[in-house]
Amino acid sequence: MNEIKTDVLILGSGGAGLFAALHVYDNNPSLNVVLATKGLIGKCGCSRMVQGGLNVVLNPADSVDKHFMDTIKGGGFVNNQDLAWTLVNDAPKTVHELEVKVGCFFDRAEDGKIHQKAFAGQSFDRTVHVADLSGIQIIARLTDQIFRREEKIKVLEETRALDLLTTEEGDRVVGAVMANIRTGEIFVVNAKVVVVATGGAASMYKISAPSFDKTGDGMAMCFRAGAEFVDMEMLQFHPTGLLAGQSRLSGSVLEEGLRGAGGYMINGLGERYMERYDPERMERSTRDRVARAGYMEIMAGRGTENEGVMIDMTHLGAEFVEKKFPGMCERVKDIGKDLAREPVEVSPTAHFQMGGVKIDIHCQSSLKGLLVAGEDSGGVHGANRLGGNGICESTVFGRRAGDTAAALAEQEVLRPYRQEQVEEIKRRWLKFYKRTDGVDIYPIRDEIKLLMWEKVGVVRDGKKLQEAVARLDELLEMAGQAYVANRTLSRYNMEWNDIINVTNWITVGRLVANGALLRTESRGSHYRTDYVDTDNQNWLVNIFLKNKGNLEIESFTKPIVASRFSAEEIRKANIKY
Amino acid sequence: MSSREINAKIFRYDPEVDAEPRFDEFKVPLIDNMAVLDVVMHVQNYIDKTLAFRCSCRIGMCGSCAMYINGKPRLACRTQVKSLGTNNITIMPLPNLPIIRDLATDMEPFFEKWKKIKPYYVGKSELTEPAVIRPDSGEREFIDQMLDCITCGCCYGACSMVATNEDYIGPAALNRAYTLIADKRDAIRIERINVVGRSYGVWRCHDQFNCAEVCPKKLVPTKSIQQLKKRCVLQKFGIFK
Repeated sequence: MNEIKTDVLILGSGGAGLFAALHVYDNNPSLNVVLATKGLIGKCGCSRMVQGGLNVVLNPADSVDKHFMDTIKGGGFVNNQDLAWTLVNDAPKTVHELEVKVGCFFDRAEDGKIHQKAFAGQSFDRTVHVADLSGIQIIARLTDQIFRREEKIKVLEETRALDLLTTEEGDRVVGAVMANIRTGEIFVVNAKVVVVATGGAASMYKISAPSFDKTGDGMAMCFRAGAEFVDMEMLQFHPTGLLAGQSRLSGSVLEEGLRGAGGYMINGLGERYMERYDPERMERSTRDRVARAGYMEIMAGRGTENEGVMIDMTHLGAEFVEKKFPGMCERVKDIGKDLAREPVEVSPTAHFQMGGVKIDIHCQSSLKGLLVAGEDSGGVHGANRLGGNGICESTVFGRRAGDTAAALAEQEVLRPYRQEQVEEIKRRWLKFYKRTDGVDIYPIRDEIKLLMWEKVGVVRDGKKLQEAVARLDELLEMAGQAYVANRTLSRYNMEWNDIINVTNWITVGRLVANGALLRTESRGSHYRTDYVDTDNQNWLVNIFLKNKGNLEIESFTKPIVASRFSAEEIRKANIKY
Repeated sequence: MSSREINAKIFRYDPEVDAEPRFDEFKVPLIDNMAVLDVVMHVQNYIDKTLAFRCSCRIGMCGSCAMYINGKPRLACRTQVKSLGTNNITIMPLPNLPIIRDLATDMEPFFEKWKKIKPYYVGKSELTEPAVIRPDSGEREFIDQMLDCITCGCCYGACSMVATNEDYIGPAALNRAYTLIADKRDAIRIERINVVGRSYGVWRCHDQFNCAEVCPKKLVPTKSIQQLKKRCVLQKFGIFK
């Protein structure tokens, strides 16, 4: 079996992975980097799909304090404040680097300076963007910068990690077992530092927004390797996912800027229902509330015939809508509707995981040698993420992960991996080729999507969560019994890859469901009908989960990291969520 | 299209074992808003699990799922079945690229050429802050819209000059070169001009507009290439700096 030895292994080629690679190189061009990505570089994952833009303080009338308060307020105050503070402080440097070094050209205002648009839940218009499809330019330009540094950054496309390699003591990561999707070849990357930046698993819901390749692989691997997770119950539903029937276009996000610009949310009766849920901010309320409101309307029988609600832009004038949101108009046109001239059916759609691997401000996880950046990490956004803080997080923390990785790689030696662990991992993932009979993975996939939607979804309760927890354990067992239709075909075998994907979904789904069961209150995106109130007396805490061994989940809680705005102040502020 | 069923004829080829490619036919139930991507996914998920194709974002932003659909390069995700005007759909891999298996092509030749034009921005050293450029200054001409390229390769698959000249850089890479050469912030514009001004560069384009016809982002690489030709000539005269 082949083996690559390197200083830094980066998994993922979204904003976090690309920036990490760039920063390792720019810190120390003598370091060797392997950047492995499940699809084509810069094309898979969700940074590429970013529509709205990136939140950053550029205007002197704005301030990082305001951005910080918006972020923790939007996050229901359970954010790790050190991480949130890092986010808002690094954002200006990051945008500066994107413009000046990477070559992005964000849209300009009349005066020729970078334009900032309105997003929901924010006290200042601070979202920089490239029309309404910002991710294309950010990620394409970052990718091109990687090409410039190819001599030291080895890019492995359509190559996925199967599992992380750890030392005997289990407290350090030393590489990963990898699979080349094109050839089926299994090999080892032995590294001083591993950066995991593969994104979340919101795709495990029936209606969901992420790209199809993004299946929480990094989180699942980190869990199996023993890393600690934080607030996994926090999973965001975006309020405006396009409804397109059974077509896989369903669930794709119609961007936040539509509400920011003044779009209305209306139910099947034509009512602006946000009146009932957040009369002050109406449609510009945060995503958690607008999504939940939509869901409640649908559940109360006030939805549209396809179980949706509608976003209505018509009062803003067709010309304005077409000019400001060309990408959205075009997408909607694909399904025969006209966003500028008629209300369009939408539904809450599973979008983003606020919870994730516990990290510090240097992206260091609880395991040595393992850095995590972007959506796979947790704590930055608390219980709800603001629109525009997502690509902000992946770029800000990707840069940091690169800096940390470079520093660590200079200090550390390359530690050996354990061959018996490699064999165990290979056995576990290759057994699906060895069977002549077993479980078909696709019905399991369809079931988990429905299960997560119905029982671990927008509105939760203890009974449903318990059912979900039990069923997910069974599904994990069942996925282990899967087999592939053609046992000799390892080249570009999508079925084999889907067995791994579904297994990783279930692994992450178990964390979400177990976390949700533990948090007996409602906060941000986590809403329980059996505990409808936000409980600031008892629940200004984070829930930590980790693998006890044998994939059993161990949990503990700790008070929130409130280094800038104390729990006392939060309780006193008495802000309603 | 009255029938609720689609006849999908799909190209199958495993270069490792098959002497010849073949077509397999599948009946797929028609659903509302069905994209061609839905068709291939249905086939792979529920009929023949060994089918290979590539996709990611499914909303026309990543450019992973370009295929040759009813005689034209298109994104499978942005091609609505009903827009084809028939229930008979023939799906083949994108032309002008090696085949990994079935509909999944190897994009490497495309990106090797992409890299030739030095696709990365190199800022002028004196530019230490984001440039102040008023939208009405015309300075960005049509650079900004041309930046929307998603490197899907549809243009590369449609270009007859790519098909007949192995070395031709092709429309996508030249379009990217234009966005940098016309960008006054960039420091290595002359270097790039020297790359694109060769015989395998802009001069190979015969203005057939195949690229523009198939671009899912409605870009017109031919226009960028003409702009580049102009600059190449001016540079020969020492006028372009």
